[in-house]
Amino acid sequence: MKIRTLLWIGVGIIGCLALFALGVFAGLFERTAVAKDIDQPLSADQMKTLAKRGAYVAVAADCYACHTAKDGAPWAGGFAFETPFGTIYSTNISPDKEHGIGNWTRAEFHRAMRDGIGKGGVHLYPAMPYESYRKMTPEDVDAVYAYLMSREPMNVENKKNDLRFPFNIRQVLTFWNFVNLPGGTLASDPARSETWNRGRYLVDALAHCGDCHTPRNLMQGMKQSEYLQGSVLEGVLAPDITKEGLAQMGFDPHILSVFMKSGLSAQGAMTGQMFDVVHFSTQYMTDDDLAALSAYLFDLDGLPKQSTPPAPPKPVEVAHDLAESARGTYLNLCSGCHGVDGEGIPHVVVPLATNASLRLASPRNLVHAVLHGIPAQHFPGLERMQSMPAFKDELNNQQLADLANWMRAVWGGKQPDVKPEDVDQVRRGD
Amino acid sequence: MTLASKKLSLTVNDKTIDAMDVPETMMMLDFLHEYLNLTGARMGCGQGICNACSVVVEHDDGTLQEARTCITGAHWFAGKKVRTVEGHAKRDASGAIVGLSPVQQAFIEHFAFQCGYCTPGFATGATVLMDQLKRNPVARADLEKTITDALNKHICRCTGYVRYYEAVRDLALNTPGLVKA
Repeated sequence: MKIRTLLWIGVGIIGCLALFALGVFAGLFERTAVAKDIDQPLSADQMKTLAKRGAYVAVAADCYACHTAKDGAPWAGGFAFETPFGTIYSTNISPDKEHGIGNWTRAEFHRAMRDGIGKGGVHLYPAMPYESYRKMTPEDVDAVYAYLMSREPMNVENKKNDLRFPFNIRQVLTFWNFVNLPGGTLASDPARSETWNRGRYLVDALAHCGDCHTPRNLMQGMKQSEYLQGSVLEGVLAPDITKEGLAQMGFDPHILSVFMKSGLSAQGAMTGQMFDVVHFSTQYMTDDDLAALSAYLFDLDGLPKQSTPPAPPKPVEVAHDLAESARGTYLNLCSGCHGVDGEGIPHVVVPLATNASLRLASPRNLVHAVLHGIPAQHFPGLERMQSMPAFKDELNNQQLADLANWMRAVWGGKQPDVKPEDVDQVRRGD
Repeated sequence: MTLASKKLSLTVNDKTIDAMDVPETMMMLDFLHEYLNLTGARMGCGQGICNACSVVVEHDDGTLQEARTCITGAHWFAGKKVRTVEGHAKRDASGAIVGLSPVQQAFIEHFAFQCGYCTPGFATGATVLMDQLKRNPVARADLEKTITDALNKHICRCTGYVRYYEAVRDLALNTPGLVKA
C-alpha cells in the first residue's frame, strides 16, 4: 500500500514536470518585453525622422558587423557563427520583401530584437544578442527599425544553418529563454549620474559587451555572477573588462575611451573580433558616449579630470637559464620589429613593454598571437599596423612557453608558470 | 658603447663560419652585409613585409625554406645552412661564375626585372618554390595559383610581376617532374 502511494506520487511528479516542460516548450511561459502599443504602425513621417537617429543607434549596437558577410551585400547576412552546437548564419535584415525584413511590422521587429522571436513566431538563436537588446528602449528599437527600412533592399537568400539535433529545432529555445532572458528595459539608477546610466545602457544593451566578455554557462547563457569577467571565444580570451580587469591590463578611463575610438594604445592594438567592433562601431561613437561607456566600466559617475594610468607591474625574477634562452629567442625572432626593449615602432608595430596581453592572468592571447600571427590592419585616422608573422612552425611548445614566461615576467609582472602543455592546448585550438 | 656579443657558427653558401663574435642583437641582414660582405640580400622595408631580404635555409633533409633576414637575428641561424643570392650560380674553383641557376637563367630570358632591387628575394622565393614542386608536383590547373601563393609576398616596385610570373611558370612547365601530367 505504502509503495503504491509512493509510486503514484512519483508518477504524479513526473507527470507535472512533463506538463511543465511541455508548457515551456509551447511557449506558455515566455514573457514579452514589447508593450501592446507597439502594435500601432509608425507613420511615414515618423519613420523618416527616426531613420536618421537609427543610423547611430545601429552603429552603437554594431548590427552591421554580424549582418554582413565578408565581401557580401550590405545588411544581407550570411556571416557564419561557429558554436558548440553547429554553424549559424546571420540573416538578411535589409528591407527586401522576399529574403529580408521588408514585410516585417514594427511589432514583429520589436519582438525579434527584444524577445528573440521573429516573424511568424520563429525563434531566433541567441547568436543574435537579444538577451542584451531586450534592455533597449522601445524608442531606440523604433529608430533601428526605421533606419533598416530605409536601406537598399538586397535580394540575397538566407543561408541554411547547420546545427545538430536537437538544436536544429528552434522551439527548444523556449527553454533557453525561460532560463536566460532578463526582465526588460533597464530602469535608470537615480543614485548614479546620467553618464554612468548612459554607460550602462551602452555596455549592457546597445554594444552588448557582455555577449563576448561574460562567461557562459552550459546552456550558453551569460553567467550573471561573473558579469564581464572574461570568456574564451574562438580560442582567444575576451578579457575581463571589470574595473579590476581593465586596471590590470594597464587601462585608466581616459586611455580606454581613446582605445575604443582609435583601436590603438600603449596597451596594444585591437585584434580579432574586437578589431571589427572598433572598425564598425565604437570609432563612430560620440566622445560623450565613449566617456560614458568608459566611466561605467570603471564604475565612475564621470571621467576623472586627468589620466592616471595604473603603475606598471613589477618585473618578476626568472631563472638564469630560462632568461638566457628565452631572451635569445626574443632577440632573434621578436626584437627586429618589437625592439630590443619591447618599445615597438610607432605607427607600425605595437610595443610589448606596456602590452595588455602580457599582463593578463592567462597567457592564452600572447601564445595565440605568437603561434598564429595577426593580419595587417587599418585603423581609424590612417593608422596601420603591419602583419605579425606566425611562429607555429619555428617554435616548439617548450621554446614558446619559455619565451612567454620570460616576456610575462619582465614586462607583465607575472610568475613564469606557462607550461608547454598550455602552449600545446592553444596550438591544437582548444 | 660595446654591444654584448656571442659566438656564432653557421654555413653560408657552403662556407663554414666558425665561432665569429657577433652582437647578440644583430639582425642576420646586417651580419651578411657587414661581416661577410654578402650584400645581395637587400634591406627594403626593414619590417619583414617586402621580402627583398630573404635567403634560403637548407634543412638537413634537403628541403629549402625562405627566411627574412631583416627581422631575424643572426644568432637564429646558428648551426644552420644558409644560401644567399651570391650562392645560387655555379662557380669554378677560382670562384668565377660558370652557370646561372635555372631560376636566374629564366629571369634573364624573360627580362623579368628592371631596377633589380627585389630580385634576390624573388630568386630565393622561386628557388624554394621549385624545390617544393620537385617534392610535391601540382596539377597543371593549380600551377598559376601555386605560383601566386608562393611569391605573392614578394614586393616589386617597378611592375616586374608579370615577367617574374611568366619566367617561373615557364621554368615549372619546362622542368620535368614539377607539374603532374
